[in-house]
Amino acid sequence: MKNFDLLDRTDTVNGLLARYGVKFGIYKNGTFKEQLFPFDAIPRVIEKEEFAYLERGLKQRVAALNLFLKDIYNEKKIVKDGVVPEDFVYAASGYLVPCEGVTPPKGVFSHISGIDLVLGKDGVWYILEDNLRVPSGASYPMIARELCRRASPRTFNETPIEDNRNYAKLLKHTLDYVNTGGLSVVMTPGRYNAAYFEHSYLAEQMRVPLVTYSDLEVENDYLYFKGYAGKKERVGAVYRRISDEYMDPMTFNPESVIGVPHIFDVYRKGNVALLNAPGNGIADDKGIYYFVPKMIRYYLGEEPILHNAPTYLPFYEEDMKYVLEKFDTLVLKDVAEAGGYGVVFGSKMTKAEKEKFIAMLKAEPRRFIAQEVIDFCDIPIQDRGQIVERKADLRAFVLTAEEPVVWKSGLTRFSRNPDSFIVNSSQGGGFKDTWVLSQ
Amino acid sequence: METLSFHYHLQIRFDQPVHDHHFTLRCFPQTDSRQCIEGLQTNVYPNEFISDSYDSFGNHCILGCADEPHTRFLADVTGVAHTGLSESVPEGNPWREHLFRRQTHLTWPDEALLSFAASLPVCSSALDTAQAVMEAVADTIVYTAGVTNVETTAAEAFALKKGVCQDYSHIMLSVLREKKIMARYVVGMLMGEGLSHAWVEVKEGDAWYGFDPTNRILVRDQHIKISHGRDYRDCRINQGHFYGYGKQTQEISVSVRRKEA
Repeated sequence: MKNFDLLDRTDTVNGLLARYGVKFGIYKNGTFKEQLFPFDAIPRVIEKEEFAYLERGLKQRVAALNLFLKDIYNEKKIVKDGVVPEDFVYAASGYLVPCEGVTPPKGVFSHISGIDLVLGKDGVWYILEDNLRVPSGASYPMIARELCRRASPRTFNETPIEDNRNYAKLLKHTLDYVNTGGLSVVMTPGRYNAAYFEHSYLAEQMRVPLVTYSDLEVENDYLYFKGYAGKKERVGAVYRRISDEYMDPMTFNPESVIGVPHIFDVYRKGNVALLNAPGNGIADDKGIYYFVPKMIRYYLGEEPILHNAPTYLPFYEEDMKYVLEKFDTLVLKDVAEAGGYGVVFGSKMTKAEKEKFIAMLKAEPRRFIAQEVIDFCDIPIQDRGQIVERKADLRAFVLTAEEPVVWKSGLTRFSRNPDSFIVNSSQGGGFKDTWVLSQ
Repeated sequence: METLSFHYHLQIRFDQPVHDHHFTLRCFPQTDSRQCIEGLQTNVYPNEFISDSYDSFGNHCILGCADEPHTRFLADVTGVAHTGLSESVPEGNPWREHLFRRQTHLTWPDEALLSFAASLPVCSSALDTAQAVMEAVADTIVYTAGVTNVETTAAEAFALKKGVCQDYSHIMLSVLREKKIMARYVVGMLMGEGLSHAWVEVKEGDAWYGFDPTNRILVRDQHIKISHGRDYRDCRINQGHFYGYGKQTQEISVSVRRKEA
């Protein structure tokens, strides 16, 4: 793969990214700080055949997750048939009682799914987690591609790469498909959200209004956008980048001042689509992750195409025994945490930490999952003029309208720290463009 | 069987005007196999719009918004209920019954409540067990207004050995769920003058039977049911979200009388 002069232009691209405000925010010690998201110009390249395989697996997985959500909030067959224990569903924080019996427009729950994968040194792709609530990250490779094309047009003329600049079009179609009549909008919690750049960029690329709570209003069973000129227009689809609990103070957290009162009631009546559907947290719960391959068999009658990382549930006695035995070789995750928080490696704990952790594990076995540490592939990055190898993952985006469609790109995140497996941007990692070859 | 006329009155006063006041009211009795509601009239004031809705438990809600500044918010609900038409209410949605098996934040038992539960017998029928639990709760708790509030948990009220209908009901729910009996919290009205009332429904077979631990009686024809849920929080009569600095005082009065022929 020739990269022509693209690699020499890393600084140019990073300069442009800074100018366009491609940042993400983090809260550190209670204050909000925006950081640049360092871009590395060496792309992650995925061969056509390999991506076709990922595509099949991802579509299958998202289809099953959608069926699971529909089932959980309605008949609960999978629980009754004993495939998923009831404790894992009803005690999970992502299971929302107000969503019981509510089927979203066109029956789609997970419109935008961000599925995290890693490529093991054994050449096998493993699913690390599913993100079905408000997965972010698509905007970064979108804008990076745009800027790379400007910085090095030849690279893209002479390499057969799938164009990833269609994401906005796919997303707009996803919104329009479930729209119940009226505008489609992007709703942001506001300027101090970690992914504010993304919210504004996606709204701009889709040419739809970017709104906050104060631009929206419920009246007579419908949702309205109060235009800047005072004109009220009905809203039929909200791509909301605000979490379930803050979305509507009348149904969820009553303390929320960034939600829209009664928006959930409008949704319940089928008069607006919310993307993603409220209550999706039950399907991307780290405890439920273990059951996804079983769901695929249960709902689709198919063997899972993509593999989970080998996972143990201390909830099961047998697994608890294994986890205690092999503690030092496993990674343990708190099911309630996200963003790389609540992840600990058995091998890195002191004796005292370990004892404390095991006591916690025994007291609340449902709270944790344990996984084998996957030795995943290093990929090359540029580091102060040198090329070094670092850990990376891939967030693939699956958009569901009529059926799941996999975006032919993805967000590749890497760890800049040579000893770290955690690639989350909130933990200081960088990103790459993901090239899917078209030939 | 009885024919009862009821009047539910809610008034909220704000000491300074509030605006953009969104509300959800859950104070409307519905017809089921045990009661038949006729001539239901509701008056909510002020409002820019109001709309009917049903929550995930099937409770009837009225939601709406009062945009303009106001210092007073009123809801009046009147009608006639034919009660005691049946001893029980059939299960309306078996898909959601798991909700009533699990403890909630408000019913979560502590050590004391667990040992209280363990001291009570489990009978062959859920209804006999419920009867025994109701008696024990009524024997243990002394009805006392003003010592607990809407945030008080079953465990806290049990430690005080005091409380009101909400506390009796939460304690009874906690014990029943500990004994693997499905039970739910009910809000309604009771014959006479006073506040709204709370009691418990217990599942036996495919139907729900009412127990009123505060009055140590079975629910027959003196009770008009409004709503049910896992605990108090699912049955809140009034929820509001508004702008303004007003401090609010809420006043509820309920009157249920035998209807003159």
